[in-house]
Amino acid sequence: MSTKGFRVASILFVLVIVLLTLPSMVKIPYYLHLTVLALIWVVVAQGQNLIQGYTGYVSIAQGGFMGIGAYCSALLSVKLGWTVWLTLSLSPILTGIFAILVGYPSLRVKGHYFAIVTLAFNMVIYIVLFNFRTLTGGEAGFTDIPRPGEFAVGAFNFSSLPSYYYLAVAAAITATVFCWLLVHSRVGRNLIAIRQNEALAEAIGIATWRYKLFSFVASASLAGFAGGLYAHFIRFINPDTFTVAQSLNAILAVILGGSGTLTGPIVGSFVVVFLPEYLRIADFFRLIVYGFILILATIFMPRGIVSVVGKLARWPTRSR
Amino acid sequence: MLAELAQQIINGLTIGGIYSLMALGLTVVYGILGIAHFAHGSFAMLGGYVIFFFFKKFGLSFFMATALAMPLGVVFGIMIERFAYRPVRDAPPINSFIIALGLTMIIEGANLLMFGADQIVIPTTYHGVINIGPVAIVELRLYVVITTIVLILAMTAFINRTSTGMAVRAVAQNRSAAILMGIDVNRIPMIIFAVSSALGIAAGAFVGSLFAISPGVGEGLVVKGFAVLILGGLGSIPGAIIGGIVLGVSETLAAGFISSSYKDVIAFLVMIFVMLFRPEGLLGRAQR
Amino acid sequence: MSTAFTKFKMTSISIMLIALTGLIFSNGVQAKEKELVVGVSDTLTGGGATYGMPQMNAIQLAVDDINSGGGVKVSNDIYKLKVIAYDDQANPTEATNSVRKLIDRDGVKYILGFCCSPSTSAVASFIGRENAVMLVGNAAERTITTRGLTNLFRTRPPADYSGTAAGTFVATKGVKRLGVIGALDIAFYALYLEAFEREFLKTGGQIIAKETFSLKDRDMTPQLTKVRAMNPDALLVIGYIEPAAFVYRQSIELGMNVQRFGFTSGNEEQFLTVATSEQMEGVWDLRPTELTLEALKDNAKVYHKVYTDKFGKTPAPMSPYAYDQVYVLKHALEKAGTVDDTKKVIAEISKSPVPAEAIMKYLPIEGKMFDKNGQAYTSNSAFQWQKGKWRYIADLPSDPAAYSVYLHSLRN
Repeated sequence: MSTKGFRVASILFVLVIVLLTLPSMVKIPYYLHLTVLALIWVVVAQGQNLIQGYTGYVSIAQGGFMGIGAYCSALLSVKLGWTVWLTLSLSPILTGIFAILVGYPSLRVKGHYFAIVTLAFNMVIYIVLFNFRTLTGGEAGFTDIPRPGEFAVGAFNFSSLPSYYYLAVAAAITATVFCWLLVHSRVGRNLIAIRQNEALAEAIGIATWRYKLFSFVASASLAGFAGGLYAHFIRFINPDTFTVAQSLNAILAVILGGSGTLTGPIVGSFVVVFLPEYLRIADFFRLIVYGFILILATIFMPRGIVSVVGKLARWPTRSR
Repeated sequence: MLAELAQQIINGLTIGGIYSLMALGLTVVYGILGIAHFAHGSFAMLGGYVIFFFFKKFGLSFFMATALAMPLGVVFGIMIERFAYRPVRDAPPINSFIIALGLTMIIEGANLLMFGADQIVIPTTYHGVINIGPVAIVELRLYVVITTIVLILAMTAFINRTSTGMAVRAVAQNRSAAILMGIDVNRIPMIIFAVSSALGIAAGAFVGSLFAISPGVGEGLVVKGFAVLILGGLGSIPGAIIGGIVLGVSETLAAGFISSSYKDVIAFLVMIFVMLFRPEGLLGRAQR
Repeated sequence: MSTAFTKFKMTSISIMLIALTGLIFSNGVQAKEKELVVGVSDTLTGGGATYGMPQMNAIQLAVDDINSGGGVKVSNDIYKLKVIAYDDQANPTEATNSVRKLIDRDGVKYILGFCCSPSTSAVASFIGRENAVMLVGNAAERTITTRGLTNLFRTRPPADYSGTAAGTFVATKGVKRLGVIGALDIAFYALYLEAFEREFLKTGGQIIAKETFSLKDRDMTPQLTKVRAMNPDALLVIGYIEPAAFVYRQSIELGMNVQRFGFTSGNEEQFLTVATSEQMEGVWDLRPTELTLEALKDNAKVYHKVYTDKFGKTPAPMSPYAYDQVYVLKHALEKAGTVDDTKKVIAEISKSPVPAEAIMKYLPIEGKMFDKNGQAYTSNSAFQWQKGKWRYIADLPSDPAAYSVYLHSLRN
């Protein structure tokens, strides 16, 4: 095996060991709880990365799509009594359908226009979730959302925190692998072409509209899936969780971690979940510090943490 | 019925004027510098908080406090351009958007720290109500509308009649040609942000005296501002003015004659609708 | 016997006697001083801070009072209370994180605060499985106490408990055509209106309009113009203090000269920031008695003074919901004789009478402060704004026992 291959394999090996044994190593359940949240965010961020990092369209609607997935899964499992495994699998599909409706008008425009229109959609979704009280419970929210396999016995019961952690790990890995496959396929190359120069891509005959819509729907579906995972984890949802602020968090996770890479969203998600926790110490300064970090990171680390780490990792082998 | 309609239109003109002011501040920055200045809402609210502070600490009247806050706001706005936005001028547009987000957080955080979480209202001495038949016109609202019109006229005159304004328009049309013509293009962003900041402080003053300023109000306003930009055309000054009034009045009429719960949806449905059928807005140029 | 040996005996016996005495004294009379950490999860920043900060302050005040008064005496130990507070930003995810942190990392068993319903509901959905006791304050969402949770207690009555009493009252004022404007998208305000309406309609009254506003709205002129055109006898304002103040001001600006009733809470300072006293003149507030100096005992006046001196502003009327939580906990801990066995503490809270130090005017159910649902009930009163102050006018007849049965029947 080449040295690079060996290095990658050993890193992966260590990572797998850590992932599998984490619940027993973490003594305070609170940190495991945060880790599960971060893993759910990895799914959202990978989705955001698809439309933003690879296709070059910044969508401010992931929060709203999370909401659609969350409410779909919650409604189906609580009101209709369907099993959680089914509703979780349906949440990305149902969200994808909504995403087609949202994508159609939004993708007709580019750049800032696109961003603002998706933001408008996010707010419409929030307002509908809030006002449609008979269906969604409105501001009071939805309580007692079940855990998957709650009434099952043994290994199939995912009620406890460590077992949900493994579910979240599986979900994050699935999302990353899905994106990896997509990005390395012809579809992915076309998306990158669109990002780099859409007019040129169209000129050489790429059906940009179809690829853009696909990318948008795929990213929304991932957000919907993450929303379902969130709903069954926290067991309570209300519209306040799915606002524009959440969408902005998704954008942040991608930018801070490293846009257009596969490891970037993973790093970014953990930063977005854990950084506010550490900033709690300076609770009243939290917003100000977070804002400064953002600005400084954007000016000095525009390609994200992953690129900086990558440069540092290559340093020993860098040719003089 | 007619009286109710007339009253609702009067109600809508006030909020429409404020939307127009916000949109103007946004459109000059976007149209000429290409920056989506999301932090403008929180900035305007900071202006309102500062005016309230001048009133409370030094007992200044509403106009005196506003007059004092204006130059401070302009300086702060120029600093924002210089230290926050300029470093990412040549980076992809998403970066300036993130900067705007970071700025919003800093300003909101600073507002919370300095002024607390309770809402503040800037007191004025204008409590009168003018009654024209069944229609009631609140004195303060009238003054706000008049002042907004004056500010808009002043800004239009500046852009169209002065040599600096001409330089600004030149840079907006063709930056490289403007450099060749000997225009100092680094001065332009400063001027734009000065104008935008002044408009923002005015918006803050009006929101603070007519309604209230509290955490989160700025963000709501800036989103409505962008809705107006989409409606009127990104970068178009007449679009911002007309768009603001149209949005304000339609929101009010919808709340008054249809349903008040979905009042805010109007702005967003308008944006989406415009995107579908006329992306450049009512008065905008074809999108870049 | 040699004198040396006797001396040795005497000395050793004396030493033993002295040591024994020392031991007796150190274990018996001298109680050890320990620290009990209590947690607070409340909205300290953002829009809900208007409710969360006063609660936080009230809790701190109660804790300081208790500590300076000698602490909490549990068995033979004296505990000084220490507060760890986390901000939940009125956000369900944050609230879950805060309480998880309190329980897991800080080892807290007693959690107070909870001003805002969304974050409280989020915590209520998992607290039943935790080894902890949750004391809810201002959060008014009814379903918080219909879940059959044994370790959750709430000092503030659900909103619709006050609605019934208010409905009857407004009818006695001769109102036949009532226009309602409120935060009707929020479940507990809608329930207040539902209960109100049932009583009001019985008397032959009519509700001619139901307009909505949200927490962030400040311009209610469209809604008021619409209601004005329908010629109401009176206006009913149901909702958060901050927009409600604007409703009152704008109703006068629009020339509406009708009776105005409300369910908003809020002290004079909060309203005068927005409206003039003349604009507020005659407005009614029909709500739980809360912090009204004329209707309560002397300790309320003391609380008012100490709070104002310490925090620089007058206490919000709902703040004692949190103050009382601390005393409920104190008495329960002392009676249970343990700080660790939450089951015993819960049992004591369930059967405790209203604490002597409590500021709010509670109506006990069968002599106890909390009913089977963990819910406490205060009296409802009618207040009217007269010349710049809220004046306590009358008690609104309320039936907590009947409501308690009704609440129990709602368990899902």
